[in-house]
Amino acid sequence: MNACEPAAIQAEALCAGYRGRPVISDLTLTVAAGEILGVAGPNGAGKTTLLRCLAGLCAPLSGSIRLFGKQLADLTGQARARCLAVVPQETETPMAFTVEEIVMIGRTASLPRWRGPAAGDRAAVERAMAYTDVVEMKDRPVTELSGGEKQRVIVAMALAQEPRILFMDEATSHLDIHHRLEIMQLVERINIEQGVTVMMVSHDLNLTAEFCRRVLLLKDGKLLGDGPPRDVFTEPLLRQAYPCNIHVQPTVSGSVAVVPAPRFSERAPVRGARIHVVCGGGSGGEILRRLTLGGYAVTCGALNEGDSDARVAGALGIGAALEKPFLPVGAAALEQARKLAKDAAALVVAAVPFGTGNVANLILADESLSAGKPVLILDGAESRDYTPAREAEARMRVLRSNGAEFCRDPADLFERLSPALARAPGGGAGKSP
Amino acid sequence: MTKRDWIVWMAGPVALLALGFCLLAGAAGWGIPSDVIFRLRLERMVAGFVVGAALAAAGTVFQALLRNPLAEPYVLGVSSGAGLGAAFAILSGAAAWHVATMPLIAFVFGAATLFLVYRLALVGGRASVYGLVLSGVIVSSVCSSMLMFLIWVSPTPVLHGIIGWMLGNLEVYSRPLLLTASVAVALGVVAIRAMAPELNALTLGGDAAHYAGVRTRVAVPLGLGLATLTAAAGVSLGGLIGFVGLVVPHGVRAIVGADHRRLVPVSALAGGVFLAVCDAVARLVLAPRELPVGVVTAMIGGPFFLLILRRRRRGGWLE
Repeated sequence: MNACEPAAIQAEALCAGYRGRPVISDLTLTVAAGEILGVAGPNGAGKTTLLRCLAGLCAPLSGSIRLFGKQLADLTGQARARCLAVVPQETETPMAFTVEEIVMIGRTASLPRWRGPAAGDRAAVERAMAYTDVVEMKDRPVTELSGGEKQRVIVAMALAQEPRILFMDEATSHLDIHHRLEIMQLVERINIEQGVTVMMVSHDLNLTAEFCRRVLLLKDGKLLGDGPPRDVFTEPLLRQAYPCNIHVQPTVSGSVAVVPAPRFSERAPVRGARIHVVCGGGSGGEILRRLTLGGYAVTCGALNEGDSDARVAGALGIGAALEKPFLPVGAAALEQARKLAKDAAALVVAAVPFGTGNVANLILADESLSAGKPVLILDGAESRDYTPAREAEARMRVLRSNGAEFCRDPADLFERLSPALARAPGGGAGKSP
Repeated sequence: MTKRDWIVWMAGPVALLALGFCLLAGAAGWGIPSDVIFRLRLERMVAGFVVGAALAAAGTVFQALLRNPLAEPYVLGVSSGAGLGAAFAILSGAAAWHVATMPLIAFVFGAATLFLVYRLALVGGRASVYGLVLSGVIVSSVCSSMLMFLIWVSPTPVLHGIIGWMLGNLEVYSRPLLLTASVAVALGVVAIRAMAPELNALTLGGDAAHYAGVRTRVAVPLGLGLATLTAAAGVSLGGLIGFVGLVVPHGVRAIVGADHRRLVPVSALAGGVFLAVCDAVARLVLAPRELPVGVVTAMIGGPFFLLILRRRRRGGWLE
């Protein structure tokens, strides 16, 4: 990129809004050519207003907007269309235009009035259709296309403008995940191969994080954050923007995943008994979640820190006895877990694989049975026993003969849980939470 | 040459044949008439052609700009408004001052009606399909009752002319008026055709057209103004004729596609031929008596419209 080249978008002290009610106040923003930028924020934060302003659809109340160094307000319709194209969320096409005719609308600014499209217009349309892979459907009426196909045609129409900046205004939010990905990969390719600057507004934080190298977080018309997704989509910043409980986790592709967890707010009512769960390695996730939703007070352990079940426990606000990562469960952690199990009215053993590191947890099951509490175990421990001496298998046999209940699957387990609690000597009282 | 190009090229000869049929059909029966009658028929055919072309072209523009399949001069109240203006011009004697006065007053009334209908339908900066149709029907019936009122209080000698004109009448009373209206319609249709790229873009909505580089603040009022002018010129010549502006653009769209480069000229041509043929049929059916041409347009247009709707549903508007 040439260092002297002016910024693709430069907004200075921008105020914008409707009828004097400012939606955006004093926003300054510079987007370099070739960037792929995401704009996130809650409803009413001013994302769409910002985009409409930058596209010249509504005039700013004050401040200036420059596209590649030129004042937006001074651009003719034709110059603006050559500079900037927009893919909106939905484009209604009430008349049965063919795909090619729709893509040709992207050339409106340069089309001759009387004669047919010029050679340059035809070439641009051909290129745009080839790029978006809609050539085969070029004679079909757009009214017959599916949502994903139609949006690809609209992207082709935007590309036919041969713009240097592409705006995506919630352009994928009504598409299924496959087509959402397809459109985004297409836009990413346009960005990389043609150097088109992309600015996308989306409610899908995960999609934004996946595709954008830089994101803006807007709230009440002001910038809350501006930087790489990792630095902006953090729990403190997101909680400032959205008044709900949000968890941010790294994803398999190295990006971040944002998960709202409104159902597990700290004030969730606890109606049922206290249950201790022996789990690990992802085996306990569903059980922990369903027990919590069922109104039980839940504890778990002992687990290693960083285990996916430990993370679920953290997200759900569940007490857990934790051992250091990758260490066998030691005396201190086991003692902590023993305390949790003692306070519980019942103990559940998830379909966790057993190795020398965690087989000690089964002692807790034995102790709970001796204390007269119901113990429910997910069946099939034999196949998950990785201890050299088949210790888990041996312990399971003892547990079975001492009256532990073995369940086929989590659904079976939940069916048996409350009768088991009712049958228990204490009437399932346990220690009140 | 695609099938569509072929259809467009065939349209010319077919139109000439149809117009030839109109010249041969008369209240007295078939055949080549005497010189005087022939001139009358020729004038009447030209009037029918001009009015039909005006209504069809205006309907095409209204449907594109308002993105509404039911938009046409009659439904939007533009015809009734222009009709009221024309009647006002006749009764007040203004029409006698200058030949252009009547079309001009009709245009002003039509434009005012469209503005009123649009404003009534506007909710939160947007005019909905139903809002437009509803306010169009209401404003249109108000205009019609005002027209009735004018007729009721008017002196008898003028009365007959106005009632005949209200039902749609292509008889040419004034050759200068025919000439003025024809020029206005021709200019209107040419200007509308020049806007074809913008009309195409605007069918996707104002925002999308703006993104494509259309200056919507100029193009939309200009398009509506041109359509109103064209329709008003047609109404001042032929009176209140419904259905042409609705049926013809739909039918033509189903055949040549939605692109306004082809749609506008073919619609105008087809509208002109359609109305001229309807007028010839009106002369023939109960010969030697004549039917009002508006009756024929509705009776031919209705079933024709339904047929198109059934057979080429995909080709017209989305459902």
